[in-house]
Amino acid sequence: MPLDELLPGELGDDLLPSILAQGTWQGRLYSVASFDSGLGIYAARDKLVEVSARIPKGPSDAWTAAEFEQILQALAARDADGAVLDLKLNYPDEWLTYGFSPVLQSAGADLVDRSTYRSASGVLNGAKARAAMEQVQGWFAHGFVDPNVDDAAFASGRVALSWVGHWMYGPYREALGENLVVVPLPDFGIGMRTGQGSWSWGVTRACRDPEAASQFLAFLLQRDEVLAMADANGAVPATRSAIAHSTLYGPNGPLHLFARQLLEGYAVPRPRTPAYPVVSAAFAQAFRDIRHGEGVQRALDRATMLIDRDIADNHGYALPETSSLHVP
Amino acid sequence: MAWGSSDSRAAGVLIAPALAGLILFIALPFVLAVGMSFTNLRLGSPLPLEFTGLRQYARVFADVSVQRAFLNNAVFALVVVPVQTALALLLALALNRRVRGMVVLRALFFLPVIFPMSLVAVVWILILAPGPEGMMNSLLSLLSFGHWQPRDFLHDAMWALPAIMLTSIWQGVGFQMVVLLAGLQAIPAQLYEAAAVDGAARWRQFRHVTLPQLRNPLIFVVVVTTILSFRVFDQVRIMTRGGPNDATTTAIFETVRSAFDRAQLAKAAAIAVVFFVVVLLLTLMQKRLLRQQPAPGISGTTERPSDATC
Repeated sequence: MPLDELLPGELGDDLLPSILAQGTWQGRLYSVASFDSGLGIYAARDKLVEVSARIPKGPSDAWTAAEFEQILQALAARDADGAVLDLKLNYPDEWLTYGFSPVLQSAGADLVDRSTYRSASGVLNGAKARAAMEQVQGWFAHGFVDPNVDDAAFASGRVALSWVGHWMYGPYREALGENLVVVPLPDFGIGMRTGQGSWSWGVTRACRDPEAASQFLAFLLQRDEVLAMADANGAVPATRSAIAHSTLYGPNGPLHLFARQLLEGYAVPRPRTPAYPVVSAAFAQAFRDIRHGEGVQRALDRATMLIDRDIADNHGYALPETSSLHVP
Repeated sequence: MAWGSSDSRAAGVLIAPALAGLILFIALPFVLAVGMSFTNLRLGSPLPLEFTGLRQYARVFADVSVQRAFLNNAVFALVVVPVQTALALLLALALNRRVRGMVVLRALFFLPVIFPMSLVAVVWILILAPGPEGMMNSLLSLLSFGHWQPRDFLHDAMWALPAIMLTSIWQGVGFQMVVLLAGLQAIPAQLYEAAAVDGAARWRQFRHVTLPQLRNPLIFVVVVTTILSFRVFDQVRIMTRGGPNDATTTAIFETVRSAFDRAQLAKAAAIAVVFFVVVLLLTLMQKRLLRQQPAPGISGTTERPSDATC
């Protein structure tokens, strides 16, 4: 059930805009979270210095896609096997959507048309999406990408760059120490974009005491509770007050980039539609096909067809007239 | 008239548990699947169920991934059934000796059958690891005196299916071997003695005594391996997820993908029904072909082996 009226008003000002965006559906807030997530590129500073690559300071001066490709080339020229980039290809399907839909969004494309949520046509398989995914395919074709079967590509020093989320900071920091640097994902045209979102909490219609449930949620969203959770799982704290007091994500913390991305509007929530599982599976398959050298247009056309068919099969996931609807 | 009504009642009671199991777990799900395949049923959808006629079947037949899946299954069966059967026969012959330690060897060859496929698949992902350090790559490099270019087998459109086949054969051959071993040990020693008296050397003994005597176990092995090779799923799901570009997708993998990745239960049911019909036809055809053939090659020897009971 909607939480707008159940939660204290000032909470809305404290929660990250990304959390509000993720939890909002049809104009109302249905879920809140005490932590969020984000993407970045972890790099070995000495290797970047060797090829005199610029080290971006924040999300607004991210590498451009062309610059990124030059860096890959320069790094590959000095690398034994030419594979210098880890894309965590050993992760399961949802990673591919979470980790690489920002490529589309940064190019001005997307997974679906978010104005109507009725179709992916022209958005997922348009010229912008194709150009961006062709660049990604180029990284594979040039052999820049390590398959990372052993999940140790970056930590063992085999590659210079690892494209992954905030959650790898701990192990990477341990492996690289002061040599570790975190930079934003590249900008494919309209500014860099990152994925976001994680576990979030709502109150069901069947809940016997929504007041108590939302009081509990409000308790969890107090600064110290949010910080305690973030300390425990390493994720980005979901409130401004907690971020200000976080040693990792605060203004002087090594991971402040992740907080800025969420605070300054670089984060794109997953499409909020019941079609999401199909959208995600279709894009993940397209990504894998593109990795394997399938024509980019063909792969994206197929994903678009799967998504559009699913939406059509479900009559556009339209809201029924009555209010007693089943919210997925 | 010898059968009293109490006897048939007793028979009915006795077969009831088995029959109930068959109906509950085989017949009923199948009937349900056929029913579902004519609807628009989806996982977790609040929309009303509609009868959609043959639409799901039209989609199944138009789906390039499903077409590729059946093709892959056919290629898989065409390679794996003969290779695995021949290999199992060779192993069975090699291990059918009374030598000390043979039990240990047999157990070793049978061991992979006991391993869960998921475990085998993970081990083979490591064996087939890309790069020169991968076990398979370094073995091939050694055997070719360094001429082998390391490749990423599971992400290579040409090598992915053979890699899955190799994994499957390695895992499954022990089972066929045991069946054939039992068949070999059931052949009476007198037949070989008689053949030897008639002057038949080892090869002729094999062709005219062993093979005809093994006819039934071999038919069993071929039919079962065919059915199993159409059911390939675990190793595909774990090792390649059907890729690269559908190079290793299979009918069951497409069924699961439709049902659980895309929530299209009705389409999954339609694939399952098509799959059932294909496998049923193949099995019937195989049984027919294998049964109608006379016992092979008995003209060269004077000793006529006792006919297999098929």
